Parts: sequence; C-alpha cells; structure tokens
Amino acid sequence: MKESLMDILCDPLDKSDLELEVTDRDGDEIITGRLVGTVTGEEYPIEDGIPNLLPPDMRDDE
Amino acid sequence: MTGRDLAERRGMETNVYQPAEDSALLAEAVVDHAEGRFLEVGTGSGWVAERAAREANVERVVASDVNPHACESARERGATLREEGHLGIDAVRGNLLDPFREDSFDTVAFNPPYLPTDPDNEWDDWMEQALSGGETGRKFLDPFVDDVGRVLRPGGRVLLLVSSLAGFDDVVARVESAGFDHETVVQESYPFEVLSILRLTK
Repeated sequence: MKESLMDILCDPLDKSDLELEVTDRDGDEIITGRLVGTVTGEEYPIEDGIPNLLPPDMRDDE
Repeated sequence: MTGRDLAERRGMETNVYQPAEDSALLAEAVVDHAEGRFLEVGTGSGWVAERAAREANVERVVASDVNPHACESARERGATLREEGHLGIDAVRGNLLDPFREDSFDTVAFNPPYLPTDPDNEWDDWMEQALSGGETGRKFLDPFVDDVGRVLRPGGRVLLLVSSLAGFDDVVARVESAGFDHETVVQESYPFEVLSILRLTK
C-alpha cells in the first residue's frame, strides 16, 4: 500500500486513527508491516502490499 | 434460478467474481460520472476500478473487497496500470466502508452481491459471498446505503448498481431514508432482471 493511504484509512472497530509500522518497503510502497489502532490496540497486518482491515471476528475465514 | 446457475451462465472462476453485464453497466456510469477521489467497494477482479483508472476523470482509485483473492487481483491490475503510466489502484481488504475515514471520497461505486438466497441453500465459498445478497438480496446494500454518506466529501456522489431481483422500490426507499437524492443514469433489461445504476447525491 502507498503510505498516502493513511489519510483515508481508520480503525474499522471505532473509526479512530491507525499507526503505521513498516517492516518492508519498496520505494513509496509498503509491502509488509502492520497498522495498529491507537485507541483499540488492535493489530491489522499488511501483507504482499495489501492492508487487511477486516475486524478480528471476520479474519479467520480463509 | 440459483446462484450456481448464474455463476455458470457468467462463466466465473471459483474464487473471484469476473466482469459480467452488471460490471459493464457500472463501468459505463463510472466513466461518465466519477470524479476526484474514487472508491470501489466490493471490487471483485478490479475490472471496474481499472476502467476508472484508465478512462474516468479521477485523481485516485481505491478498491476494497472482503475477499483476499479479489484484493490480489485488483493490486495486480494496479501494478500493470502504473507501469503503463496510468493511475494505479490501491487495494484494501475490508468489510464494506468500515476501514475508511469520513470525508474521504468524491465518488463511491458499489455492485453489491444481490441474488436473493434461501439460507438453507447457501454454499460457503468466496463465489457465494460474491453473489448472495441474503434472503432479501439487500444484505450488503442496506448497510452500505446507511453508511456511505459518512465517507463522501461535500458534493460527492454514489454510483450504485441495483437489480430488480433485490427490489428496486425497496432500495429507493432505503436511499431516500438515508437522505439521498437519486437519479437512474443507466438501465438495461436482461432475461432474468433489470439492472439500473442509481446516482445518489445529498
């Protein structure tokens, strides 16, 4: 995901801000990392460049 | 007609909804009416989002889906578009509008899963999720309509595909109770349904 996407993303649980933690990037593209809810503390993974902002109760259905 | 029949008729893969008549109608409306920051909810293969990036007067294209295979497909399209010098596609995995902030988009497009489905007759895979709109056909459409005003910027518009199978009048009632004005900008009849694109504005 592009870092500029942070302007329009929020925590799906309560719409509060997210904090970006980058593990691996390619230019301005974040490939691996996570988004952490600043209020809920919930962790949302970024894998293969795609942030997974499903709420926890919808994540285990792959 | 069951969802499986429709799936076969439309020649779908097993994991990601592939572009069909409804996608083409939504794309037509997007090319004519989308502007600014654009979001497609339930992007499936990402085909409509790609049409937006190539042909519409938009400045950013974001595509979301609950299905990880759909997100991968949209992201791959975005990478190819960028290589060709077009806008890319930002893929986000999420449920409807849940992960997006208020006042984020000038245009939001949605082709919801809308086949009315008997709960005893559902099958549990990604294609079922891409097609089934629950018993009413409006399982995803209703919560989308209720929430979409939140993410729209002032002066924004929604492009919403509505099948007669999901009850056109019921959808219009929901749209009006959510405070939107509405106009049908595209409409086509098919053997099993009439498909319309509603443009919603505040």
